[in-house]
Amino acid sequence: MFPADFGYVRAGSLAQALDLLTEAAEADEDAKLLAGGQSLLPMMKLRLATPQTLIDIGGLAELTGVTVDASGTTVIGALSTYRALQRDPHIAAAYPAMTDALAVLADQQVRARGTIGGCVAHGDPAADLPAVLLALAASVTLTSRHGTRTVPLDDFLQGVFATDLAPDEVVTAITVPAAPPGQAYEKFEQPASHLPLAGVCAVVAVTDGVITSAGVAVTGVAGRAFRALDTERSLASARPTAAVIEAAASQVASGVRPLSDQHASGPFRLHLAQVLARRALTQAVERAATA
Amino acid sequence: MPASRDVLVEVTVNGVPHTARVPARTLLVHFLRDRLRLTGTHVGCDTTQCGACTVALDGVAVKSCTVLAAQASGHEIQTIEGLAPAGDAAGLHPVQQAFWQEHGLQCGYCTPGMVMAVRQILADHPDPTEADVRHGLAGNICRCTGYQNIVAAALDAARHLRGA
Repeated sequence: MFPADFGYVRAGSLAQALDLLTEAAEADEDAKLLAGGQSLLPMMKLRLATPQTLIDIGGLAELTGVTVDASGTTVIGALSTYRALQRDPHIAAAYPAMTDALAVLADQQVRARGTIGGCVAHGDPAADLPAVLLALAASVTLTSRHGTRTVPLDDFLQGVFATDLAPDEVVTAITVPAAPPGQAYEKFEQPASHLPLAGVCAVVAVTDGVITSAGVAVTGVAGRAFRALDTERSLASARPTAAVIEAAASQVASGVRPLSDQHASGPFRLHLAQVLARRALTQAVERAATA
Repeated sequence: MPASRDVLVEVTVNGVPHTARVPARTLLVHFLRDRLRLTGTHVGCDTTQCGACTVALDGVAVKSCTVLAAQASGHEIQTIEGLAPAGDAAGLHPVQQAFWQEHGLQCGYCTPGMVMAVRQILADHPDPTEADVRHGLAGNICRCTGYQNIVAAALDAARHLRGA
């Protein structure tokens, strides 16, 4: 199998990538950015995607790396690979839920090439990291020839492979606020693709035995990863007992119309989400207590 | 710079530089097999799942069915043919030796990818647990289901590489 014919150009800088994107958009040409290619190339081989032009930004060092400011806000270059992030000591210390997800995301070969920006731009409803990034209230920085804007990930994700990314924009960074240590990600995977049939991330702050903030998000279950707002509300100001966690987890996909396909039925996905929410919350609370 | 349907690929494979102009859509695995006749790298599933096409790109294991030859241009590739020590035609890399010793193969189709994947696992985990090896092999499928001896081979190779 190989992709349909396309034109290839390697961008030498972000500025050049933006010029190439703008030219393609003006010419009404179907151009796609190629980062790690671990989602795009398989889709192109199956002819589910047939771009006319690939603009390869994979080599742009200016879009890799992790920086932290004094408040603990972390900016992750969009072209940082999963493998690099898995080995980043700051990520491991500040965002254990992200490290949980990176350890079980795809496989070692895919993690060597796949990028966090590519994941977000792709909008796959079954990607792991969007659950983690939503629970951490991350935002996406988008750059075009017209400037730069930063959008909450919750607004950026729109539906199945649909995002707020304009044709002339590049995802340049993911920004993650400082977060409490009570975090965990749990998934149940499709064994061949390793994509989650359901994945849940929980981020909780516990002060004097009371939950002072909770971010809970789900992936793999609906057309896009989503915040579990009912669960978050039921945890607020509660003591994190097993009964409270159980009750909160049972609402993790309330009102959600689940995906249903050959890998898992809708009701099974909803069941998985509830079980995984309980596990993720339990683990997050344990980590909050031992931190 | 206009996009081109043909690309010049300049790549070093197993220490040997190669230059070729190929269609942009050429996958690295096809470049290796069809252009360079390095047929040790296999195509199994062709869908980024089975890992039979695993090679090292700048020293890190990747699936060569999911990398364009164009993306590999300017980089170094190591295939199964280049794993044994240079200049030692009959020699085996310790991972290959361990697969032979522990009979870590049945039909052999997945073996080049398994060996290249185990090389990476041991580079990242010099003293791996069995769980490390099994988790590390998540991206490699053996249709003979011969995992028991593959895992044994990986653990044996780790011992040899540590000099234990």
